[in-house]
Amino acid sequence: MFANRFRFLLLACFVLSAAFSVSAQTKMPQMVFKDRTLPNGLRVLSAVDHSSPTVAIQVWYHVGSKDDPQSRSGFAHLFEHIMFKSTKNMKSEMMDRLTEDVGGFNNAFTADDVTVYYEVVPSNYLETLIWAEADRLSGLNVDDPNFKSERDVVKEEFRQGVLAPPYGMFEYLLQQKSFSTHPYKRPGIGSIEDLDASTLKDVQEFHSTYYRPDNATFVIVGDFDQQQLDAWVDKYLQPIVKPNRPLPRVQVKEPARTAELRSTEYGRNDLPAVGLTYLIPRQADSDSEPLRIAETILSQGESSRLYRALVYEQQIAAEANASAEMREDQSLFVLTAILAGGKKPEDAERSLLSEIKKLQDQPVTSAELEKAKNQLITDQLRQRETSNGKALALGEAAVLLGDPARVNTDLARLQAVTAADVQRVMKKYFTDSNRLVLYFLPEASKKTAGENKQELRKEEN
Amino acid sequence: MKRTRFSFLRALLLAVFVVFPTAILAQTPQATPPPPAAPRSGSFPKPAERVLPNGLRVIVVPRSNTPLASAALLIKNGGEVDPPELAGLADMTATLLTKGTTTRNASQIAQEVESLGGSLDSGARFDSSTVSVGVMSSKIGPAMTILADVVRRPAFAAEEIERLRLQYTDDITLAMGQPGSIARFVAARVVFGDSPYGHPISGTVQSLARISRDDIVKLHERFYRPDNAILVIGGDISSVNGFEMATRHFGDWKKPATPLPTLTAGMPAESKAGRVVVIDKPDAGQAAVYLARTGIKRKDTDFFRGIVTNSVLSGYSGRLNQEIRIKRGLSYGAGSTLDARRDVGPFLASAQTKNESGAQVAELLVGEINRLVTAPPADVELTPRKAVLIGNFSRNLETVTGLVNQVGLLAVYGLGLDEIDRYIANVQAITTADVQKFAGTKLDAKTSNIIIVGNAKAFLPALEKQFKDIEVIRVDQLDLNTALLRKK
Repeated sequence: MFANRFRFLLLACFVLSAAFSVSAQTKMPQMVFKDRTLPNGLRVLSAVDHSSPTVAIQVWYHVGSKDDPQSRSGFAHLFEHIMFKSTKNMKSEMMDRLTEDVGGFNNAFTADDVTVYYEVVPSNYLETLIWAEADRLSGLNVDDPNFKSERDVVKEEFRQGVLAPPYGMFEYLLQQKSFSTHPYKRPGIGSIEDLDASTLKDVQEFHSTYYRPDNATFVIVGDFDQQQLDAWVDKYLQPIVKPNRPLPRVQVKEPARTAELRSTEYGRNDLPAVGLTYLIPRQADSDSEPLRIAETILSQGESSRLYRALVYEQQIAAEANASAEMREDQSLFVLTAILAGGKKPEDAERSLLSEIKKLQDQPVTSAELEKAKNQLITDQLRQRETSNGKALALGEAAVLLGDPARVNTDLARLQAVTAADVQRVMKKYFTDSNRLVLYFLPEASKKTAGENKQELRKEEN
Repeated sequence: MKRTRFSFLRALLLAVFVVFPTAILAQTPQATPPPPAAPRSGSFPKPAERVLPNGLRVIVVPRSNTPLASAALLIKNGGEVDPPELAGLADMTATLLTKGTTTRNASQIAQEVESLGGSLDSGARFDSSTVSVGVMSSKIGPAMTILADVVRRPAFAAEEIERLRLQYTDDITLAMGQPGSIARFVAARVVFGDSPYGHPISGTVQSLARISRDDIVKLHERFYRPDNAILVIGGDISSVNGFEMATRHFGDWKKPATPLPTLTAGMPAESKAGRVVVIDKPDAGQAAVYLARTGIKRKDTDFFRGIVTNSVLSGYSGRLNQEIRIKRGLSYGAGSTLDARRDVGPFLASAQTKNESGAQVAELLVGEINRLVTAPPADVELTPRKAVLIGNFSRNLETVTGLVNQVGLLAVYGLGLDEIDRYIANVQAITTADVQKFAGTKLDAKTSNIIIVGNAKAFLPALEKQFKDIEVIRVDQLDLNTALLRKK
């Protein structure tokens, strides 16, 4: 029986192997992986790599901050913390005993679309960790004191990430204001009020709604024997029961913007900041690659256009950045500048807009395009130096791009981008009516800026 | 030619595996975790080194599993050589290297390196200055050309100096808006006073304004010389190619006739025991709470006792995070660092918390230092904390950059590269008694200082119940240029 099932499942998986050249001299090492979906819907991706005797175990749950319940912003992230407390067979913090105490580590992150738990351990602990991940997927057993103490930790995380740094609130507001309708408008860290309102009952409901085998992808990369792994998967993951309830998915679509949105906010910062955002398509869209190239040309390194223009030549900004923030349903292109001492936000806004216009008016040079591609390839090589980095790339391809094979084909897609593609997406998405402008000014400047703010309000109307 | 065989990774990774968690005996397969299998082994790089006739020490660490390579040129001096009035000089000098040479301006350097897909970074820390480049291994040749050019022929153009001065000044303004960075600056002044490790590595607004081109050129002439430098090349490159490249780019770098600079920072002044300094920042979104004191030298025989003791306190399941975050939910994270330098470096224990909890967290930091003596870690606690140290050490060596950094640090401090071979055994040898003794003699809380940066109103009344002679300084009265900390 056991052997039969094992053989049957082997037929259901496929293995990819190929090598292609990504630049004149550098071959991107291809990831050879196995893709297996169990009858309960749980997906297991695995790639053997014996370069160091460690193994990375990741569990990707397809639930993120966008799935925070009503009036519970920050809940998916709080829940991620709770997953390290008591489970069916593990005491609080036992995950640390199984990883940290044997020379490994664990962590987790919550993004808008996914929640990812990961461990890196000496490879002889792989079976132990598969058991542990299966256990917390099967059920939580958290008491109220543990819940409240961890909720306090998350409130401190909010203070440390949003309230204490001078531009923490700037980033928070940029996301909040950039979406009108989609739940992406609630930043994943949440708010103190919503965190305070959450209860242990919410925890149990969230677990039974989203933590189920057909919403989980295990990614295992490192030093192991494939057949042995498959047997452990059969033993520990296969028995987990898939519930009959439907799995809720966010259906809300963010409507297109129809006119420029402007606002001004005040914070603890000494130097003003300016942010521009544009709605761009979902991550899996084919325009993502030219947008990624545009981001790199604008923002990566000291030869990038924003650094050259705003920081180096005009000296308007202390820092200038562009970021294509990819999301599953609707992405966001964000440009920010933190001003140099004594400069006006209006000047920084004008300079950012002028750099966008240049990319719309003139195709990028082939040297600039080649540079961006080299930078992106090198970044990927760096990410894939470790098993955990390889697993992240594989998990992202499977869960967010819908096809694990893209871990090996995405570089070819980047290589295929032309200067005309970049110019086309710049014209298509970077329009006046698709723009949000946020000024984030020092609290101290509030009085003198009062008139300015009224003017901006008028423009908004 | 001296060759060092590195078999350290095998020893190191095997040792990770012999650390088992507390007894796990399965009754039913589902209720308890399955025990670990037999440990597995891996394969390891074999580095080599030689000294060029001009005194430059070259170390090559080949590893070919990823097509990446990285090179770092280290100078054995950094921020500790800044004259007292010119804090930030060594860091500005190092940073300016990549901003123009006699044949390439700043833009051309950035353009060339980034076209290779790589990055070129430079800066100073205490005890060393570094320029490093990382690229796909197929691009290491042209990357080395640029690395050598910026180290040997910097232009120090007046325009670039002004630009960097402005950027550093803006960065300090930004740092002074964050309770955590203010606390670290203040901690260094409290612990080291006016001695070389006391100032912010990137200077203050006032010291930056005083730095002239002449100061920069002199510092470069004095310290950037082949017999005061180490070149480490790692990654997908053979040692033959590495040495050949080193000779081609650095072989004709002339060693000056003047004697080498001395390599001491100067011991810190006797720090006044038990200061409690509050920096009142009324708009702070959180309070940063630090316990700060002198620690140890990198070459102290106490080094391994020190890092194991620190590991008992720090890390996710270390005592500080256990007490402050896990048990009480007072912070997102608490930890400590024992920064062992050429001379005695700092020990810092810290956490950020809501303003109202500032005094409670200070009490917990002090309490945990004391508890190392009154309740030292038994083996059941000590063994996992050693495993953490060993695991982190091994993982740091997994990337090319990590490998190059680790080898570079050992070389800067004049330690044998074979210390990596002995690392695990050295950590494993530390006992409960060692930790207790180290904590009692080197980390005594009574001779430590407390620094809290935050909204003082929220925590001062509680703090006054714990400590006498609290010094309160308003953030706008803070002066980091002197040990006095207060504007005159």
